[in-house]
Amino acid sequence: MNIFTYALMSYGLMAVIALAVTAVIVGISKVTGGSAAKEDDA
Amino acid sequence: MGEFLLQLFPGIGTFFEMETSVAIARVVLIFAGFALAYLGFKGTLEPLIMVPMGLGMIAVNCGMLFLADGEIGNIIISPLISDNDALMTIMQINFLQPIYNLTFSNGLIACLVFMGIGARCEVSFMLAKPWSSMIIAIFAELGTFVALVLGVAAFGLPPEHAAAVATIGGADGPMVLFASLMLAPELFVPIGIIAYLYLSLCYGGYPYIIKLMIPKKYRGLDMIVEVPEVSQKSKFLFIAVICTILCLLLAVAAPLILSFFLGMAVKEANIEKYITLCEDGLSYFATFFLGLLLGVLCEASTILNPTVVVLLVLGILALAISAVGGIIGGWLMYLWHKRKGEDFNPTIGVAGVSCVPTTAKLAQHAAQDENPFAVILPVAMGANISGVITSAIVAGIFVATISMVTG
Repeated sequence: MNIFTYALMSYGLMAVIALAVTAVIVGISKVTGGSAAKEDDA
Repeated sequence: MGEFLLQLFPGIGTFFEMETSVAIARVVLIFAGFALAYLGFKGTLEPLIMVPMGLGMIAVNCGMLFLADGEIGNIIISPLISDNDALMTIMQINFLQPIYNLTFSNGLIACLVFMGIGARCEVSFMLAKPWSSMIIAIFAELGTFVALVLGVAAFGLPPEHAAAVATIGGADGPMVLFASLMLAPELFVPIGIIAYLYLSLCYGGYPYIIKLMIPKKYRGLDMIVEVPEVSQKSKFLFIAVICTILCLLLAVAAPLILSFFLGMAVKEANIEKYITLCEDGLSYFATFFLGLLLGVLCEASTILNPTVVVLLVLGILALAISAVGGIIGGWLMYLWHKRKGEDFNPTIGVAGVSCVPTTAKLAQHAAQDENPFAVILPVAMGANISGVITSAIVAGIFVATISMVTG
């Protein structure tokens, strides 16, 4: 794999994992009755 | 007589017995040590790192002597010893050798710093605007990936070396140390020094990037920020679950992930003695020795390595482009919130660069300079903590997959 493809792939992978982590944070917050992310819910 | 004096004062005598270029480099590093220590003392650079680092640089470059085997060296540290028997001998001679081998070269010191950072982080900030914070943090990794590509394609570095120096773009000191130990142990010393030097310079350089990219009226934009009330139980649960997920996905970064979330967990579990240990004990112990060891590792041979120039260029590019990326993310979040009739200060973008809490404070200062009533720190801290998470993810991905890059 060349460096450009690798950079794009790893950037995308990082973004997907980071957003998945955020979804878990928001999910836990909702399950446990927190008020997080109401205004961010799109 | 001259011979006697050179033997009597080997710190001076060794100048005449070594190559001219090395002797000049020693002098340069002694003055550089003075400059760093003084700038730390004045508060221009981070004193916690720069004062011990500056004095370390002075001592190691002044304190050269003729060793038993006739070579020129010091009795402070020998970072390049790899033979086990020689290491056991040298550990009993060089006073910082045990600290280096037992805490530095295995990444423990980076983990200790991370525990301290974790114990100081407040999860609630991240819950104020979780999506915005994380999207900004994703944009603020732009410099890391641009530096990676430039390092390989433009400067011809091996992918592992380029990836190690590119992690400076995440502005996360412990993460840079960890990644360089895993990816480029031979460049670990210069990368560590450059990383901490540049991280100290963030404070001076980032305000200019903010002013360049964000007009005055937007910098002073106030926001209605509600930091949600979240029970300690929820926060503890969040910490345990995220730690589990990240360790599962990024096993190579597990030591750092564990350290960061352990610090956070100790805080949320309200274990007072451990909080004090992490915040005041481990954190300052690690930061002190980190600064000192980076200083004593600054021998002349370090700056005479031609790769150092490339590392210097890539490091500053990575940090600058990450700030630009973070601010682009801040603008996108501004536009997104504007659609919903809400205000969002794009200055928060710079806090996505995860130099906790420096960049968050910088964002707050920049906003307050234009509007004394602007309070953006809670959201900026959220972006900061998200930046730590994205940096950990990037380090994990690089360490696990950089070998996939060919040619």
